[in-house]
Formats: sequence, C-alpha cells, structure tokens
Amino acid sequence: MTDIPMPPMTPWSAPYWDAARQEKLIIQRCTACGEHVFYPRRVCPHCFEDSLDWVEASGRGQVYTFSVVQNNAPSAFVDQMPFVIAVVILEEGVRLMSNIVECDPDHVHCGMAVEVTFRPISDEVTLPVFQPAAGSDQQQEASQRHA
Amino acid sequence: MNPLKGSVAIVGIGEVPTGRLPERSPIECAVDSSRLAILDSGLDPSDIDTVIPTAALCCPAFNTDLVTGRLGEELGLRLHNNLQVFAGGATSSVMLKLAAGLITTGVSKAILFVHTDKLGTSISGQEGIDLFSTAGISKEWEAPYGLHYSAVAGLITQRYMFESGATPEQLAAVCVSNRKWAQLNPHAMFRKPLTVDQVLNSKMLSTPLHAFESNMLADGGAAFVVTSAARAAELTDTPAYLLGEGSRVTHFALSQEPDMARFGYAQAAQEAYHMAGLAPGDIDLAELYDSYPVFQLIALEELGLCPPGEAGAWVAEGATWPGGVLPMTTNGGMLSQGHTGAGGGIAILVEAARQLMGKAGDRQVGSPSFAIETATGGTYVDAHVTILGNQIPQTGTDQP
Repeated sequence: MTDIPMPPMTPWSAPYWDAARQEKLIIQRCTACGEHVFYPRRVCPHCFEDSLDWVEASGRGQVYTFSVVQNNAPSAFVDQMPFVIAVVILEEGVRLMSNIVECDPDHVHCGMAVEVTFRPISDEVTLPVFQPAAGSDQQQEASQRHA
Repeated sequence: MNPLKGSVAIVGIGEVPTGRLPERSPIECAVDSSRLAILDSGLDPSDIDTVIPTAALCCPAFNTDLVTGRLGEELGLRLHNNLQVFAGGATSSVMLKLAAGLITTGVSKAILFVHTDKLGTSISGQEGIDLFSTAGISKEWEAPYGLHYSAVAGLITQRYMFESGATPEQLAAVCVSNRKWAQLNPHAMFRKPLTVDQVLNSKMLSTPLHAFESNMLADGGAAFVVTSAARAAELTDTPAYLLGEGSRVTHFALSQEPDMARFGYAQAAQEAYHMAGLAPGDIDLAELYDSYPVFQLIALEELGLCPPGEAGAWVAEGATWPGGVLPMTTNGGMLSQGHTGAGGGIAILVEAARQLMGKAGDRQVGSPSFAIETATGGTYVDAHVTILGNQIPQTGTDQP
C-alpha cells in the first residue's frame, strides 16, 4: 500500500498544522478588512494586505457537496474505500476540502450540519475532518451504531 | 467592435485516430497530424512561421523535444518561433486567442498548433488515477483527503443535481448523446451503441459518477493551422473565423470554487456573444467540453443554449443527438472519442472547425454558420467560451 500523501507545509501554514496536531482548528483573519481566510495565505485575497492573524474557528459548518468514493481511488486510499470526501463551509464562511467520518455514507447530504474532529495520519500530521454535528439525526444514529 | 473579432481563422485541421495504440509513438502522431493540418490549410509548409506544441504529459523527454524545436525540424519548416503553450484542458481556447494576438500584432503570419499524447498506453489505469490525483489538485489542502478526478466530478455532479434537480438518467443521457456522435466518427475510441441503462449499471466510482460517465484516457493527436482572416479568405470559402471569446478563472483548489453548479460560464459566454455580435439562437452547433457529462449540462444552461433549468430533460429527449435541434460535441467527446490530456479539448476545437468547413463526413450537420465551443482545465478552474463561424457577422448585439 502507498502511504497517504503528506501535505507539503509552508512557513505560513505551519501554525495551522501545529494547531491541528493539538486538535484545534484555526483559520486566518485579516486584521485590515476583517475577513476570514482559508487556506492559509501570505496575502489577504480580499484586500491584498499582508496582515493575516490566526483565530480559532467554531468548527461548525455544513456540507456544500460530497462524494462517496467507492471505486478507482488513488493508490494510497484504496484500502479506505468507501470513504466520503466533501466540501464543508464553516460558519465563518470559508470553504475547505475534507472527509466526513462517523456517519453512514448513504446519509451524508448537501446542507448537512457537521462539526470538526481530528484524524492523525502520521506523528507529525493530523487532518481536520468532519462528523455529524452533535444532536443531529446522523450523529444520534452513528452513536447508536457504535454503542 | 472588438479588434480580434474575425481577425484570424482556422484554415487547416489534422487528426490521427484516438485509442489504445501502443505501437504508435508520440512523434509519429505529432508529425502525421501536423502534416495533415498543413496540407488541409492550402498553405505552403514554408508559410508556417510559428509552431506551438502543447504539453505531452506522458513523456517528459518527448515534451522537451517539442519545447526545443524537434517538430519544426522533422517537418522541414522555416520557423521564426517555437514555443509551448499549456493550460491543461483549456489549452485549445487559450491557443486560439493567443494566435489572434500574435497574428494581429504581426509577430506571426501562420501558426501550427499541435497536441499529441499517449495517456492510454504509456501508463497503467492505476497510474492514470494517481497522476490525476496530483495534477491540478492542491497537494497541501486536498490530496491528503483522497481527492482525485472521479471524486472531483462526483463533488461537482452532486452539487449540480442538488441545485438543478437533474436525474441520474439525464446525466447518463449525455453519455448516450456523445456515443451516438462517436458512432459516426472513425477516429473515436468507443463506437458501440450505448444505452442509459448500461451507463447506470456500470460500476459506481465516486457517487453519483458511474464508470461510463468518466472519460477514458487515450493516445491521440490533433493539429490546426491559424492565419489572418485576409489570408484565410484567399485559401478557402469556409474558414473557421474566431468571432468571439470570453473566459473566467474561478479557482485553483476546488474547495475555493464559489459556485460548483455553474462556474464562470455565464460571464464568459456573455463576453463571447457580445464580441461576436451573436445570440444563443444564432448558434448551429455546440462543441462542449465533456470530460464528465455534468459539464455539458452546465454549459448548455449557462450558455443559454437550452430552455432554462431543462438541460438534462432536453438532452434526454434527444435535442443534442444526430438530427436533433442542437448538435452537441459531435466527435463524441472525451467520453467516447477518448481523453488525450490537453488534446481532449483540442479535438473538440478541431471538430468545431471541421463542421464549419463542411469536412465532418457522416456526422456533418448540414451547413452550419456558427459554432460555440467550451474548454476548461485542471479541476475545472476556468471557463472558456469561444464562438467560431465560417462568415463574419457585421452587425449584432455590440452595435448601439
């Protein structure tokens, strides 16, 4: 089996990955225009200033779109099939690519409420991923299945 | 009037069959399709002063040969310029607008554009999946989550279906439409009849995308020659003039795309129609980029080519089939002719020119005047809309 491709980090993304390893989701916020920014940048894509700071994100969001990978995954992911890949929009308005975990893949839907959780893929790298939001139907069902 | 409208034309096209042809080398495809295009143009080979080969993903060493002038030497051309242009799947449209710039400014008089690749047999199926899980996908923010092209198409198709109400049967019908055209195309990789049921019964890749809704990587090559409108008019009665073009780049990382059900096609199309002085009702055929069927449905709607909100039903009713009201992707597209990398889009542009020149054989759609073409690269990062015609309309929507 091929190893999962490790994210090639940059000096300006390092704080994000450091925080993820401590199971915290942080995103940038521009001190000039106030907009939230993801993925980490050197320059604010909203106002072109270079005064980006870090804030802890709510970790809550919703599924914009998703796909259940059932066949023909990249080599490193073949043994994870089926798995759910999704674009999540956080409450702060930023969008990120992630996986949906702790949920029957058949029950994932556009607009589903999700919250962040963390999955280590090496000693150095922990990926923020998402699970059904606490109290949602999908979360209750998942907790019953695991009981 | 936009100075590029009607400034240049495609005057020659060349293509070799698409498929899994391991015995055929990339240079063979490049030389043969180039020679066909130059012969088709009516120009003397010595008139070609610029060669622009696009990237061959299969073979870096061969690609270096292209960048460093091998093709001009193999063909005995007397070149002023040899350079590479590569914008992934959008290379076709990018090449044409670049040609308009180079020719109208006098840098070039006649340009040969070439694409050849060997993605069908130079790599295994799994290597193809792995190659396309890094090409155009953010290595830091998306690859670690398992994103790859089937999943890219799955994510986009899911959102499109959620917003539009399009059904699995309607998506599958797009593949059937393309196959009906491919059955008339001797260069196509897949020519057996295809039904909606066969598509829906093929294995699920990344929901809601079935295997038969995925393009197939292939070996192939295509070329075209562009020159000034004045020279074109001396060569042929049916050049494929560049009449309009518009484009938008809307993301790099797919997650950053603000509208995964529409992308930038509406704005790009508005620019292209305005420049051409034409409206959707003037368009005789639509050569729409199709690496997955959802992109043809999005383009039909965003380009205003079908009743609003009804692209899926419209295709399922046969509107885009041979004999339908709007012939679409008449070479069979990447879903049926085969996907040769950047060449999938180039084959579609060449097909638009072929139809306007009246050289499409069994699949010729009468005597069309105006064709619209789309192209997009990477994870559908850009939306290019190009309008071609074998006549230059002098009035239109850009007049007061």
